[in-house]
Amino acid sequence: MGTKRRRGGDGGMEENTMAILDTSCFSKSAEHLADDRLSFLEAVRSGSLVTDNASAPTNKMYKATFQILKDEKSLDLIMSSYQLLLELDKRFPRVYMSETEKSESSSPSSNLHHELVVVEEAWSPFSFGVDVISSEKQNHGKINESVDVTEFNLLIEDLSKVPDEANTSEPFRNMLLFQYLVNVLEGDFRPRNLAFLESADWIALKESLLNTILVSRKITYKGLVKDCLSSMCVLSQFSTDCSLDMKPAENGSAELAEKWRHTALALALPEVVKCTHAAVQKLLLMIIELDSSKATADLDGLTTRADGTRTPATEIILDELTYDKNILFPFFQALDKPKLKLDMIVEYLKKYMPKTSVRTRRSNGSTNDSTFGGILNSFSNGNSAKGIMKKISSEVAQLLLAQAFQAYIALPCEHSTESKEENSLQNICNDMISAFTCLKKADKHTGILPFAKEALVTAAFLLSRNS
Amino acid sequence: MEDDPFDFDLDDLLADAPAIAPKRRKKVLGLDELLVDHFKEQNRALERKSKLAKTRKIYDSDDEEDGRVAKLSKYVDECHAKMTQLGDEDDVSHWGLHVFGKQKPLPSIEFSELSSCSLFRSFVNHEVNSLVELSTDSGESFFEGLLTNGWLLKLVSKCGVVESSIAKWTFHLMLYSSNEALISAAIDFWCTILLLKNEHESPSIRIDWLPSYSELKDALETYGFILHSPTNDSSDAEFVLGESECNKPPQNIRAWIKYVAACSQSRNIHCTFTASEAEELVVVIICLLLDRQLLGLSIDLNECMIALVNFFTDDEWSISCVKVAKSIASRVPKDMNSLRAVESIHAVHGPTKLLRSAIAFHILVGCFDKVEDEEEVIRQLTLINLKDKNCDLFKVYIYMVLTENWFLYNPLLEDNQLLSEMWGLFLRNCSCQINITDSRSYAPKVRSKASYILQGTTSRLL
Repeated sequence: MGTKRRRGGDGGMEENTMAILDTSCFSKSAEHLADDRLSFLEAVRSGSLVTDNASAPTNKMYKATFQILKDEKSLDLIMSSYQLLLELDKRFPRVYMSETEKSESSSPSSNLHHELVVVEEAWSPFSFGVDVISSEKQNHGKINESVDVTEFNLLIEDLSKVPDEANTSEPFRNMLLFQYLVNVLEGDFRPRNLAFLESADWIALKESLLNTILVSRKITYKGLVKDCLSSMCVLSQFSTDCSLDMKPAENGSAELAEKWRHTALALALPEVVKCTHAAVQKLLLMIIELDSSKATADLDGLTTRADGTRTPATEIILDELTYDKNILFPFFQALDKPKLKLDMIVEYLKKYMPKTSVRTRRSNGSTNDSTFGGILNSFSNGNSAKGIMKKISSEVAQLLLAQAFQAYIALPCEHSTESKEENSLQNICNDMISAFTCLKKADKHTGILPFAKEALVTAAFLLSRNS
Repeated sequence: MEDDPFDFDLDDLLADAPAIAPKRRKKVLGLDELLVDHFKEQNRALERKSKLAKTRKIYDSDDEEDGRVAKLSKYVDECHAKMTQLGDEDDVSHWGLHVFGKQKPLPSIEFSELSSCSLFRSFVNHEVNSLVELSTDSGESFFEGLLTNGWLLKLVSKCGVVESSIAKWTFHLMLYSSNEALISAAIDFWCTILLLKNEHESPSIRIDWLPSYSELKDALETYGFILHSPTNDSSDAEFVLGESECNKPPQNIRAWIKYVAACSQSRNIHCTFTASEAEELVVVIICLLLDRQLLGLSIDLNECMIALVNFFTDDEWSISCVKVAKSIASRVPKDMNSLRAVESIHAVHGPTKLLRSAIAFHILVGCFDKVEDEEEVIRQLTLINLKDKNCDLFKVYIYMVLTENWFLYNPLLEDNQLLSEMWGLFLRNCSCQINITDSRSYAPKVRSKASYILQGTTSRLL
């Protein structure tokens, strides 16, 4: 792994730009302060993003910019600082892969070699300092400039409360703050995970921000995953019905600026909620990817006891879904990664499938019921369908099958895991229809749900196209 | 890697260490030092006064001591309050236009042809219908389900064609429905089908009906957008409360913005609009950025702007950019709004930088009478007599920020010795000729901004 030190930047620029924020001389009105902060953001932007060879803002400037996103209430400042931070991160990544040619001496083949570069003293919005020091800092009355693990967890928890207080700017800001933090986590995790997959560099991945958060003793890892899950469901539900009523909170008396702010929030809310929901999902997916990389590292003996063990996130999620049926459908509806969705539904339904024959673990019987096609087959058999219906309700079965079918047809052409002949699209569509015919027979009271109807119609349509 | 990357204490140490050589530091003193000097002077004045008081009352008993301290601190407080008042005397003026007037009722259209489209007929006639039990009159509600749950997208992409009844229906939902779930599903639908392409960069889907540019304009007008004369709202005197109720765009404006962005990205795939129509759209987007009601959508607006700018080829853009800039300059009032118009353009690459610089320049040209070329504009600036009591420093401030943007985002200007020198002269005038005690509004802003820019330009040259 390579490291790089960012050049010390332009000290003059820092002092000059920071002076815009200087409030030690005049005690200014809130309006002037906000105005100064806007000029500051604009100055950082023009200082670091305009010319091609501009240097990154210094850590002090980064801190001040982040502080604005974290603490401000004015929509103007929140939006500007959020966008600026995103653009800065894009321009000055903290971790990246560089394509370097291997040094001439080692290999004459001069293969392009990806090297992980970590910019050493780059500013990060996260701080995971030792507890003693961080509490000391707080005791000295210093405002917390960065986010620690506990705060991050709280932020996720609060996301599930967004619908209750949606017409104030605070949840709005928290959603943007969360999106930014996930963006930082991603920018840090992706190249490190790539380095791990390419060259088994576990240390790089172990030192990723995401892993540091997950192993932190200040939070419970399980709780974090559960919070993500519930926030994701709440937000996805909310994004479809959050046409926040556009009337200002107080009638008539509200000031012009207040009214503006209210309309601005109302207009932006659906989009921001949608993006936040996507960000929660991204976080969960990264955790799942990290799990699988860690499993590989465990197998290869790269990890030590100090790395600890974690229950894979998918297991935690499946457990939650089993116990809390209320989030079952919202979760799968919100999940938009077809592969993961299909795998999870198959995993979920597998528990309820009748065991046709006793198989040993090693038997190469190409575990038929661990594919979507296999599951559909079990449903298509009148007797086994009845057996399954004793364990799960018809609604759950219908919705899961329809969701799995949707994920199946979204997979890029002939899929990796379901590649066998019998699982071809044609067969899956036929099996869908016969499975639902059986379901309808097994449970005469429940009709076919709208979502399942749509799935069936799609299946029928695909069949008629192919025949 | 030996160092722990999460050891931020190390970082703190580094940050605290002097990053620059002391020799260099001298040069960056500017505003700060002036202020410190100013305060020193004030303190001295205060001390003198308190000394006077002391000498006068020197013979008094110790009991007087407390009273004197109280008086002194009261005096200091008063002084401080006065200072604050002095600093805050002028109101900060804000940007913000009302680009939306009265909203027209959103049209509602019956989509009876939906149940006659071939997609629907193939469902009804299929044997699976014995299971699903669709009837011909459930057409629209059934299609709503297909759309919101994402099936429709899968269906059309599998069959490679979007029938015109479906295209019209989804487009109408996107721009005029009041159901959030339908709006956002329709946005996803359109943004996806517009960008579907195969490996040969040609469309992998046939869209039987593509909305024309006038369709987009009609929608904007329905939302109440005032295309030709946005009214200035920084003077809120004429603002009538009753009217404000309808002066906001509907939720669908977001869909409109996203649709325009997707259209401009699909130039090579579908023929959506012409270059001159795209120019108009850039102007509309900049106008939308000037309305505070759309502040929360600025991310989408910026994305749309970049997509629109990328719509043009480089050759087209060199002409279109100027047209856009002139059009903006003629619409936007010459106050904070003009600065917002410039600053709202996130100059992330060449074409956007060009636009930012061009808009700044053309607004600046509009500020002076009968001025055409660059040199003349700057000359006008250097001719301003800052010491004249009637000189409007607010205007000077606007000129300065505009010129800063014009120069900063146009790399060609840096090589122009003459222009750079005159610009430097203007800045030096602003930073030196305005006294710290100048009580005119915007005096401190002009002075500090000028010294800030000067600092930046000199350190770049060093």
